Amino acid sequence: MAKLHFDNIDIKAVVTTVGDKRVTIEEEAHNFGYDEKMIKRLKKRMGFNSRYVVSGDTCTSDLCVQSAEKIFEKFDKSRVEALLFVSQTPDYKAPSTAIIMQDRLGLSKDTIAYDINLGCSGFINGLLNAYSLINSGLESVLLCVGDVASRFSYYQDKNLTPLMGDGGSAILIEKGKGSGDFVLHSDGSGYRHLIIPDGGCRNPFSEESLKPKEFEDGIRRGIDMYMNGGEIFNFTLKVVPNMFDELFEFSKTPKDNIDYFVLHQANRYILQNIAKKLELTEDRLPMSTMTIYGNQNSASIAGTINGFLSDKFSQNSIKALFAGFGIGLSWGACLVDIDKIYAPEIQIYKRGE
Amino acid sequence: MTKDNFLELLAETIDTEMELEETTLLDEIDEYDSIAVLSLMSLYDELNVKVSPRDFENLKVVADLIELAGEKIE
Repeated sequence: MAKLHFDNIDIKAVVTTVGDKRVTIEEEAHNFGYDEKMIKRLKKRMGFNSRYVVSGDTCTSDLCVQSAEKIFEKFDKSRVEALLFVSQTPDYKAPSTAIIMQDRLGLSKDTIAYDINLGCSGFINGLLNAYSLINSGLESVLLCVGDVASRFSYYQDKNLTPLMGDGGSAILIEKGKGSGDFVLHSDGSGYRHLIIPDGGCRNPFSEESLKPKEFEDGIRRGIDMYMNGGEIFNFTLKVVPNMFDELFEFSKTPKDNIDYFVLHQANRYILQNIAKKLELTEDRLPMSTMTIYGNQNSASIAGTINGFLSDKFSQNSIKALFAGFGIGLSWGACLVDIDKIYAPEIQIYKRGE
Repeated sequence: MTKDNFLELLAETIDTEMELEETTLLDEIDEYDSIAVLSLMSLYDELNVKVSPRDFENLKVVADLIELAGEKIE
């Protein structure tokens, strides 16, 4: 387990923008072959309800740019010295989207900019990179996280698609008075359980990659994300509670001293299981993000702050635990002490801006 | 937990209204699908029984689910 501690760093702002199209499970049930009884069961068990996705060819960077511009209405962008973009849905296979965003956002050419390819654990790893850069001497880092998962989940994949929402967040991290403790893990032996198999160098894109194929758990193409739900659920049950214990111990902070547990919003069912193990209720461990917005991958922690804790994070200094877990397999958690931050409610993407 | 209690818990977990017996074929339970398996993994986890998704692959009857719970069932 990698363990890291930081002092004199604050999160100053968190803004999340979601796709402009809201779809309900009822509206798209026919794509998945779900009847009314099944819809009822999925709502009750998994928390399915609605999700916000992009329309047309909107990219993650478009959502993140809108989020960042909202931050720059309040904060001086000339202070930003690094821009990190954590996503699995870059604008291009190359170059790094972060570099293109430096120009779009009008940031200085002295800015460090690079992409990090991570999903569910991306917020934690991104935050760690930002804290590390501040710790090394930078004044201000803009972290952008998110995915347009609707663009890599096939519309007939009943296993994955009804879970996924699109979101792009911007987080401003600066020198300050707060602290952060991080624990992180990776286990590549499980890489096949969540994967977009085609389009990289291992399985180059081909005509075959575009052919929808029927599997027991849904229809998808080689260029779409595949998820083995059982393996991922099992992985989560095994690693997440242990990771919390590691963080409580490393940060010497008992569970009861932590105000909020903001977790990757995989689905309501997983979060209910974790909450039960930790003996926490929904007011301290929000779990409805996926039900309303969909699973926003690396943006889901920020999305939960903006979606459900906007008032709390805007008005008080807070001790918050963030945790991400999934694709990789990769998992990590951090405990941050932060002063009140700029955390407006969720923004809906405005096309053409 | 007694076997009868566990059978009730299984039906509730799988979301079925069927009266489950040890000999009930899993294939005959409409609701026994991937969602049911997730719910069952969570149930076993609560009982502190270590299972993996592969443990569910070759099960035939409800008695196999009881056996998976091992000594937790009287």
